Amino acid sequence: MDMNSIPGLAPGCRLHPTQDVLLIPEGTLKLNGPTRDILTRLDGRRSVTAIVDDLLQGYSGANDDEVRRDVLGLLERLEQRGVVRT
Amino acid sequence: MMTPNDTSNPPLASPLSLIAELTHRCPLHCLYCSNPIEMQRAEDELSTEDWKRVFQQAAQLGVLHLHLTGGEPLARKDLPELITAARDAGLYVNMITSGVGMTEDRLSTLVEAGLEHLQLSFQDLDETSANHIAGTRAHAIKLALVPVLKRFRLAFTVNLVVHRMNLDRLEDFIALAEDLGPDRLEIAHVQYYGWALKNRSLLMPTEEQVHRSLPIVEAAKERLKGKIHLESVFPDYFGSFPKACVGGWGRQMMLIDPIGQALPCHSAAVIPNLFFDNVRQHDLAWIWQASPAFQRFRGDAWMSETCLECPRKERDFGGCRCQAFMLTGDADAIDPVCSYSPHHELLQTLRKPSPELLPIWRGRASSEEVPVSQPCR
Repeated sequence: MDMNSIPGLAPGCRLHPTQDVLLIPEGTLKLNGPTRDILTRLDGRRSVTAIVDDLLQGYSGANDDEVRRDVLGLLERLEQRGVVRT
Repeated sequence: MMTPNDTSNPPLASPLSLIAELTHRCPLHCLYCSNPIEMQRAEDELSTEDWKRVFQQAAQLGVLHLHLTGGEPLARKDLPELITAARDAGLYVNMITSGVGMTEDRLSTLVEAGLEHLQLSFQDLDETSANHIAGTRAHAIKLALVPVLKRFRLAFTVNLVVHRMNLDRLEDFIALAEDLGPDRLEIAHVQYYGWALKNRSLLMPTEEQVHRSLPIVEAAKERLKGKIHLESVFPDYFGSFPKACVGGWGRQMMLIDPIGQALPCHSAAVIPNLFFDNVRQHDLAWIWQASPAFQRFRGDAWMSETCLECPRKERDFGGCRCQAFMLTGDADAIDPVCSYSPHHELLQTLRKPSPELLPIWRGRASSEEVPVSQPCR
């Protein structure tokens, strides 16, 4: 996964409509902090860069590099767990 | 929400998952079948409307995951309708299937209805042995189904059920699963409940087999990281402390059997003097909160002094009640898997290799395969 990758949720994974959890096969992942904001932007069309740009519009005063690193790090961890695919 | 009688215990949380045993009809006759020895009859099964009501009540109660199982769920002609109803209610829908009776058209209908995750089990890597364990010719059908599954957008889990007859081939068995390319891989040791208990002496692995298998599983986990998510269930007969069976009695899940009885776990019916309330008479929230069967081992009031004083009770909730009963004859006893149990030596004996016995298949009057549409008796 890099900034040009186009991530999406893996089959069988979806955000719970009201609770802060990601429903996955045989379980749930709790969504902390801005995770939900990131995951709702995974549409299988936008790159990580585009997702970060979109997020930054909503976070005034955020450090761009930090956000980039955090988003990429989170998506990589979720990819390792098998719930995000590129 | 109501709290259990014992006020020293925390307030009752919602169940997270509902296991719907849609039917006990099954084209397979696995030696390790976990269904009860006395199966429910097809004519007594819940109706479509009953199940729809149950799914709505489950979602309202806070259940997130629905596991459609059986028997073989495909034996229910109303399966697509049930899946639609479950999704409309807001549940995540998983189905555990033998694959026998599945076609591309049927699968397409199920996915369209909202099926999100499908689990397919394999009995061995070699066809003759796999069919022997399943008690029918299913292996080739399962293999042929995999490329079809992959044309659809749904999560796919391969379950490898392991025991003495196939554990020595675990490395190759995992390689087969890897070739099938699932999203998830579960390696589960047989649990000795229901029918499986009849074949325990035949299926129980040796201690040596279990110890050889552990590094193989760990290596596969590492190797498949990021590719296939691997989960394994250690056979608790070989442990020193009990498992948190079903996440604790009446804590996380409920099971509805084909005729509507609500059980705290798959095999709770083995425990004497438990009456299971039925979804035909009560709604799920009432059953969860007040049904005596669910209250029976909730909290710690029933526990022995040993367990009450043990900090592990917060983790294992006293282990498995069915196992305690099946091995000691007392459902309140300390789970014998626990090294603090006075019956722990029973496990030592069971772990020793026993003479090979003949397999006992369930409901197999002849070598003929039972069509999915027919009740299997």
